Amino acid sequence: MNLNDHIRIMTQKMLTMEYLWDLAGFRPNPQQREAILHVDGPLYITAGPGSGKTRVLLWRTLNLIVFHDIKPDEIFLSTFTEKAAKQLTDGLRSLLGLVTNLTGQPFDLSGMYVGTVHSLCRRIISDRRRFFTDRHRQRPPVVLDDLGQYFRLNNVRTWNAMVSYAGLDPDDAAEHINKIFSVDSISRHRAIEHLRPVFNRFSEELLDPVTIRSQLDTYSWDGFSGEQVDLLLTLYEGYRKTLQEGHLTDFALLQQEAFRVLNDFSGSGQVFSHVIVDEYQDTNTIQERIFFELASGTSNLCVVGDDDQALYRFRGATVENFVQFPERCRAYLNMAPRRIGLETNYRSRTDIVDFYTRFMRQIDWHSADRKLVYRVEKKIRAHRQDAFPAVVASMPNKPVQACQEIAVFVRRLLNEGKVDNPNQIAFLYPSLKSVQVERMKNALEAQGLQVYAPRAGRFLDVDEAVDVFGICLLIFGRPSLRGMGRDIEGFREWLNIIEERAESLIYHDPRLGRFVADRRAELQRALSDYQALQRVVARNHWDTKQPYNPEMMKRTLVSAPGLSTSGRKLVSSAYLDRIVIKRIQEGRPFSLDYIIRRATSLDWNVLDLFYRLMGFEHFKAMFDQAERQGDEGPVANLGLITQYLQRFNEERVSIITANLLEENQFQGMFFNSFLFALFRLGESELEDPEDPFPRGRIPFLTIHQAKGLEFPIVVLGNLYKQNRGAPLMERLARPLLPDKSSEPLERMSEFDIMRMFYVALSRAKNLLILPHFKGSPTTSAFKPFLRERITRLSEFDLDSLPTSRMEDDELPKIYSFTSDYLFYKKCPRQYMIFRKYGFVPSRSQTMFFGSLVHRTLEDLHHELIRRRKLSQAQPQSGGDHA
Amino acid sequence: MPESPSTLSIEEFIQEVFEENFELLIAESGHAISPQAKQVALEQVLLYWRKLRDVAESVTDTEVLLTLPAQTTPQGREFTIEGVVDIVREDEHVIMYDIKTHDADYVRENIELYKQQLNVYAHIWQELRRQPLDAMAVIATDFPSEVKSALAHLDPRALDAALERWEPIVPIEYDPAHKDRTIYAFGEIVDKIQNGEFPPPPLEVLQTPIKGGWRQERFGTRVCRNCDARFSCDSYRQYAMGNRRISERGMEYFTEDDSNQEDWRTASLDTMFSE
Ligand code: SF4
Repeated sequence: MNLNDHIRIMTQKMLTMEYLWDLAGFRPNPQQREAILHVDGPLYITAGPGSGKTRVLLWRTLNLIVFHDIKPDEIFLSTFTEKAAKQLTDGLRSLLGLVTNLTGQPFDLSGMYVGTVHSLCRRIISDRRRFFTDRHRQRPPVVLDDLGQYFRLNNVRTWNAMVSYAGLDPDDAAEHINKIFSVDSISRHRAIEHLRPVFNRFSEELLDPVTIRSQLDTYSWDGFSGEQVDLLLTLYEGYRKTLQEGHLTDFALLQQEAFRVLNDFSGSGQVFSHVIVDEYQDTNTIQERIFFELASGTSNLCVVGDDDQALYRFRGATVENFVQFPERCRAYLNMAPRRIGLETNYRSRTDIVDFYTRFMRQIDWHSADRKLVYRVEKKIRAHRQDAFPAVVASMPNKPVQACQEIAVFVRRLLNEGKVDNPNQIAFLYPSLKSVQVERMKNALEAQGLQVYAPRAGRFLDVDEAVDVFGICLLIFGRPSLRGMGRDIEGFREWLNIIEERAESLIYHDPRLGRFVADRRAELQRALSDYQALQRVVARNHWDTKQPYNPEMMKRTLVSAPGLSTSGRKLVSSAYLDRIVIKRIQEGRPFSLDYIIRRATSLDWNVLDLFYRLMGFEHFKAMFDQAERQGDEGPVANLGLITQYLQRFNEERVSIITANLLEENQFQGMFFNSFLFALFRLGESELEDPEDPFPRGRIPFLTIHQAKGLEFPIVVLGNLYKQNRGAPLMERLARPLLPDKSSEPLERMSEFDIMRMFYVALSRAKNLLILPHFKGSPTTSAFKPFLRERITRLSEFDLDSLPTSRMEDDELPKIYSFTSDYLFYKKCPRQYMIFRKYGFVPSRSQTMFFGSLVHRTLEDLHHELIRRRKLSQAQPQSGGDHA
Repeated sequence: MPESPSTLSIEEFIQEVFEENFELLIAESGHAISPQAKQVALEQVLLYWRKLRDVAESVTDTEVLLTLPAQTTPQGREFTIEGVVDIVREDEHVIMYDIKTHDADYVRENIELYKQQLNVYAHIWQELRRQPLDAMAVIATDFPSEVKSALAHLDPRALDAALERWEPIVPIEYDPAHKDRTIYAFGEIVDKIQNGEFPPPPLEVLQTPIKGGWRQERFGTRVCRNCDARFSCDSYRQYAMGNRRISERGMEYFTEDDSNQEDWRTASLDTMFSE
C-alpha cells in the first residue's frame, strides 16, 4: 500500500457527517438532523414553509451514499419540477465532490433516478437493464405533453375515430359531449377541454372502463347520469385506442405504463434501496401506487411534504395521500412510518409566521363526526425572532384608492433602498384574470414602475408576442376565419390587435416596412413560379407523382414562361443535379412534385424570420437592455416565442413551399390552427418560471407560480377567492373511488382556498402587505384580521424593516468549464441568449453537437471497457468480434 | 433469441448508440441539429475509432467528472467548477485526455486556453483526489479538410492516406502556475453571469482572425455567421458594415452561403415530406 492510499483510508475513517456540515457551514437543528441521519424504514417528513427541506433531502441522500454505502444507482428521488431536480443534483454533486477530494473516492451520479415523476416513468419504461427480464428491444411510445395531447384530439381524423368508437356522429359529437358538462356549445375545442381532464383522471385513478360499466347501477353521481358516465368511459376507450394506434401515450398513461412494467417485473421492489419523494402532498393515486411498489422490497420510502401547501387538485393530486400516509404505510408495507416535523421557519419574520398560523386556525378541519382531521397538526416557529409588525394592510378603501396607497408605498420602499431591485417585491394573486390585477398594475405604472407577469393571462397577449405575430400577419396576410362563437370572436379581435400593432411598428420604422414588403414579394414570386411550373406540367401531360427525369424535364422546367430568376436558379442548381443523380443511382428518384416544391420553396421558415426581425430597432432595443443589466422581461418572453415557433416548425411546416401558399393554406396552418389553439388554451398554469425574476420589474404571479419561491416583500393582491363548491371532476370521480376517508366534497373547496392563501402568505420574508378593499368581497378567514388592530401602511415604521439585498440561491451553483466558462468567454451575449434564456436556435448548432459526440464517445468507451472485461474473464472465448 | 449487444461490430454499436443519443438529446433540448451536422458528428466518432483505436481501447475511466467545490468569486459568491475527462492507465502510466470537437490546428494555435483548463483538472486529479498523473493531452475530433474531402468523394485510399497524416492528439504541458490564475478568472466570469453582464465582444475581436482558423477567418465570420442572434447584435452590425460581402447582401437577405442553404433545403424537405 502506498502512502496516498494510506492517507485516503485514514481520512475515510475519520470522515464524519459533523465534519462535512462544518465544511459546508451547515448547522442542522435537531429535527433536521434526525431526518438526515434516518436510514431504515418508512419516513414521514412534514416540512413547513422555509424549513430547510431541500437541504435535508440533499444531506440525507449524501448520508446514504457516503456513510451507508448505497450506490447512487440504488436511489430513486422524485421531485416536483425538473428545476428542483437539477438543484438537488447540483448540490449533491458539489458536496460529493468535496468528499471525493477528501477521500479520493469518486461517485457517479449518472445512474441515479432523479427527476419529475414523468421523467422517471419515462426512464422506467425504457430501462431494459433494470426492469425487464428479457432484453428484447421494444420501442417505448412517444409521449405527448399537454399541448401535444390537445393537438392530437383536435386532429379531425383522431377526433372522428374516437367519437365514432363511442357511437357518436362526428357532426354533432362535440355538442353532445358539451351537454354532459351542462354547456350549450358545438365547439370541438370546448369538448376537448372537457374531455382531457376526465381522461387524465381516469388514467391516474387506474379506472377500468369494463369493470365500472358492469356495475354502473351501483353508483350515483351528483350532476351526471349513468349513461353520461358510460359515454365518457367509451370515449376514453376510443381515445386510448387512437393513441395505441399511433404508438403514443400521454403523461397520465405514461405513469400507468410504468406501473404495468413494475407489476410485470418480479424484482421491481428491489431495484432501489431507497425511494424518496418530495412534494408528496401533490401526488396522485397512480403515483402513490408506483412509489409503494418500488419500496415494496425494502420499505425504505421517505416522503416529504406539507399538506397546507397542496395546490394541485385540479391535476388529480390528492392531498390525502400525504395526510394519511401513516395509514397507507400500514396498508402497503405493514409498518408505521417514523414521523419528523420540520417546524422551524428560516424564512419569515415572527409576525408573518404568527399570521399564517392563526389564519389556518380560522376554520375547522375536522369531519362532521369529529373522528377525522383533514390536516396534519404542526407548530411552526420563526427562527428570526423580532417583535416588530411585519404584516400590514392598506386603509379600508375602495380598490382604486387602496391600490394607489400600496403603489405609493412600494415606490417608497424602492426610493429608500429597502430592496435593491423591483424584482424583490412580488404581487401574488389567486388568478391573474381579476380586475384587481389591472387596477394594481395601473397604480404601479402611475408610479413609474413596471410589471412582469410570466405567462400571466394569455401568453399571446404579452407585448412581444403581439409584436412578433403581428409582423407575421402582415407578411403572410390575414387568414380567413369562418365561424362564430366566443373563442373565434376573441381570436378575431386578437388578430385585429396584432395587425394594428404591426402597422404602427412599420409606420415608425420604414426599414421594417420595406422588409415586410420584400417578404411579401418573395411569397408572391414563389407562388407565381409554382403556377408557372404547374402550367408546364399540364402542357406536357406529366404527372407530378412520376419520377423526375432530368434529361427529359429539366430544360423544359427551366424555360417555363414566367419563371423567376431565382426559380430558374433553383431548378438548374448544380447541387440539385448532384443529389438527383445520387437518388437515381440509389434507385429512389425524386418525384417531379418534389422538384417543384423545392424550386418554389422559401429560404426561411418562421424561426429564421423571427431572428431577422430581431435586427429591427424595436426588438434590438430589448436585447440591448438585457445585455446591460437592464430589463430582462422582454427578452425572456422572446425566448418563449422561439420555443413556440420551433414547435410549429417541428410539427407543421419546417420549410415553406409555394404549394402551401395556394389558397391561404399556410395562413390556415399557422394562424387558424396553431396560434388559435394556443390562444384557446390560454393560460396554462405553468409554474417554474425563471427565478430570479427579470431585473427592473415587479413580478405579478399566480399563487401557483409562486410555489416554492420566496420574496423579501410580498403583496397578496386579492384577499378573495370564490368558493364554487367541489370541482366537477371530483364529483365525477369520487363515486368511482374505493377510498371513503377522503375530504368530503362539500368541504373540499373551502380547504383548498385556505391552502392556497397559506402558500401566498408564507412566501414573504420581511414584509407582507394586504389590501383592505371595501365594497369588494373578501374570503371570510381574513375578516377577523382586518377587523382587529392590524398595522396600517400609513403607520408602519420603515426603519423597522430590514434592508434586503438580492441573494443568490442558497445552494452553490455548478459551472462547467466548457459550457459555462468557455462559452461565456467566447461571447457573453450568445451565452445569455441561448444558455440563459433558452432561445431555440434556428441555424446555429450550439451545444447539441458537442453533447452528441461526447455521449456517444462515452458509450463507446464503456462498451470497450465492458468487452475487455468480458474477454479477460473468459480468455478462451476468442476475444471480441469487432 | 434477442440479439446480445456484444455480437455487434463496434461500428454498428456506434451507429446504434449514436441514434439513441440523438433522440435523447432532442427530447432533452427541444431541438435538433441539421442532418448534415448530425452526419459530421457521427463521422467524428467513427473516425476517432478508426484513427485512435489504441487510445479508445485503453481508456480505463471514461467521462470522469472532476469537481472543484467550495470556490469563492471575487465578489464573494460560492461556486463549484466541473469538468469531464477520460483517463488511460497503462502499466503505472496515467494519461488524462480531454476530448474536444475542435480541430487540432485550432487547438495548437490556442493552446493557452486548453492549458488553463487541463491544469485545473490536473490539480483536482492530483491534489484533491491524490491520483498519479504522467501526461495530459487534448484529443481534437474535428478532422482536417483533407479527410473531409476524401469522405465526400468516397475515396477509400485517399481517406486512408489522410487519416494517416492526421494528428489529433495535442499534448498539454503541466504547469501548476496556470491553476490559480484560471480559477480566479473563472470566478470573475461567475460574477459577471450572476450580475447580468452580457455584452458582445467588441468590434476589434470580431475583426481579428481566429488563430488556427481556416484561411485566416475572422471571429465575425467564423463565429458570428453561425449565430442566429447576429442581426440584433451591435458588434456584428458594425462588423458587417465594414465587410463588403456582408453589407452588399444586406442584413435582410436570408442566404449567405449557398451550399449551406441548399443543405438546409434538402434536410427540411426530407423531414416534411418523407417520400
Ligand atoms: S453575432 Fe452572436 S456571436 Fe457574434 S458577437 Fe454577436 S452575439 Fe456574439
